[in-house]
Amino acid sequence: MNIDNQFTAVENDATKLIRQKAYNAFEKLGIPTSRHEEWKYTNIKTKLSKEFILTPLDSEVNNAVKNYIASLPPYAFRLVFLNGVFHAELSIIPEIEGLQISSLKEAFATNPSLVQKYYSKLINLDSEHFAALNTAFVSDGAFIHLRKNVVIDEPIYLHYFFTASNANTFSQTRNLVVVEDGATIQLAEDFRNASNITVQYNHVSEMFVGKNAQLNLVKLQIETKNVKGIHTLETQIERDGSFYVSAITFEADVIRNNISARLIGENAHADLSGLYFGKENAHIDSHILVDHIAPNCTSNQLYKGVLHDEATGVFNGKIFVKQDAQKTNAFQSSKAILRSKTAHVYSKPQLEIFADDVKCSHGAAIGQLDENALFYLQARGIEKEDAKQLLTYAFAHEVIDHIKTKPLRQFLCDKLKEELKLNW
Amino acid sequence: MLLEVKNLNVKVNQKEILKDFNLTINAGEIHAIMGPNGTGKSTLASVIAGKKDYDVTSGEILYNGKNLLEMEPDERAREGVFLAFQYPVEIPGVSTTNFMKAAINAKRKHEGLEQMDAKEFLKLMNEKRAVVELSKEFTSRSLNEGFSGGEKKRNEIFQMAMLEPKLAVLDETDSGLDIDALRIVASGVNKLRNSNNAFLVITHYQRLLNYIVPDFVHVMYGGRIVKTGGKELSLKLEELGYDWIKEEVGETV
Repeated sequence: MNIDNQFTAVENDATKLIRQKAYNAFEKLGIPTSRHEEWKYTNIKTKLSKEFILTPLDSEVNNAVKNYIASLPPYAFRLVFLNGVFHAELSIIPEIEGLQISSLKEAFATNPSLVQKYYSKLINLDSEHFAALNTAFVSDGAFIHLRKNVVIDEPIYLHYFFTASNANTFSQTRNLVVVEDGATIQLAEDFRNASNITVQYNHVSEMFVGKNAQLNLVKLQIETKNVKGIHTLETQIERDGSFYVSAITFEADVIRNNISARLIGENAHADLSGLYFGKENAHIDSHILVDHIAPNCTSNQLYKGVLHDEATGVFNGKIFVKQDAQKTNAFQSSKAILRSKTAHVYSKPQLEIFADDVKCSHGAAIGQLDENALFYLQARGIEKEDAKQLLTYAFAHEVIDHIKTKPLRQFLCDKLKEELKLNW
Repeated sequence: MLLEVKNLNVKVNQKEILKDFNLTINAGEIHAIMGPNGTGKSTLASVIAGKKDYDVTSGEILYNGKNLLEMEPDERAREGVFLAFQYPVEIPGVSTTNFMKAAINAKRKHEGLEQMDAKEFLKLMNEKRAVVELSKEFTSRSLNEGFSGGEKKRNEIFQMAMLEPKLAVLDETDSGLDIDALRIVASGVNKLRNSNNAFLVITHYQRLLNYIVPDFVHVMYGGRIVKTGGKELSLKLEELGYDWIKEEVGETV
């Protein structure tokens, strides 16, 4: 297949080559079935539409989008995308010395050499089905480049709205973030279904964290009812750099979060956390990989899930410690609470260690709310259902509390209370 | 009568713990229950509060004339039954303040009242904190998380002060307390006692009863009350231990 006429956004001769390569790779890989080890508990093929419309839809900004944008603080920096198309008129782009921020399409047009230095460099096209698909058919996304030693205090929001009019629409969105040595930035990727119907998207982010740089990222999946979303986040962290990511999922039809961090320089740190709530038939899958390549690095994984009704949670947390990665300190914790008898969770820690002087530990727990705690709350007059919500808050808040970006932490703390119908 | 326990038989894991247990408590009274370990004191407290792990095989508990055993634990609490836990539970992320807000408003809802407004609630908190000499910082911390044993017990009495129960059961509230904490806890109880409420104080030691003066002292042994007296009975137990009781009931251990 010739992919030329499928494509409308990011384009130059160099990307055309990458896209063709990605397309060829995807053609070989296809959409995985549950026979594929990494998709064993998430039969994605049966969950997505049979056919895809991959061309971006230049749709009208509806009231749901307008109202949401109007509710945001007027000063908050943001890039807004609707069905994979950048909307400058809804965006507030910060003008800060040393920060280049624009749509990916614009970055390719104005500064191709900088973009090409990083673009698609963290993607393994031969094994990542959806990253390959995304690379072949990418519509648009955000490009952020932060020069050496620049520190941005205010978080920058990347809002992705979806209002697909056709059930086969499969938006392909993409971010590229480069944080140079000594620089610091806080980002939020916010995904929202701005319609009442099912939407599908396939999002890829590549993030480069330089020496002694810091990147804090929060992935918001809190207005994602009827969303079928595949997320791939690939990060690379250099010496003394640190990367923090929290993925917060409150609603989903099916959401897959592939998150991986490669620690390539000494003393680098990766902190990956997630909180997910599954209701009705929601299916939420977190596939985490921390790859310790350099020595003396540290990593931490903290994942918590609450599953109601017929919901399913999947946690697969890999820690790879390569031969040279001596003195690695890697920790993983995954816990899930089943709030109904028909909810399921599949939890699989996977540690592959090739160095001999390392500290690695993992803990996984799946259970119900603590009966003693429940009795304690009831013994103070709190109704059983309310007591359960309160204990769920106690369980979940640890992940929110873990978020370093203060306004986001506060926002999510309030959202969590709202989600659990706690009015204090 | 506020509480009437009649011929109560309770099993835990097929083992009989309470055997034909009887106890009557009127408003305005303080009852102390003493006795050696494993005689069913804490079981009695848990059964009154409504803990699920107990199998009541026969007998009844009437509270204000209502069948207490038919009520859920939260309903009992809203009706004015309070249990000060021997081992209060730690709840991370939920402050004592927010916990009390939830508890007070649950009670008010039950009584057909509106939620308490913020100003009134703060005033109540300040007033009741003073009862057990708790700092403001203390109630904004996560409930019982990282609290010392004494802090947990004071927090229990604080909660009791907030909720103003009709019947408060103190399950070994004195265990693990130093003398200052013991004094604070006891003075809290004394400030709260009035002619409309009653206390059931479960303890191993006479020490607490120097501060909280009971109207009745009951000795529990083998799942039932074997002796009842006044404050002087607790002094005798302190001096002589429980062996003479065991001899009196015709059993030796």
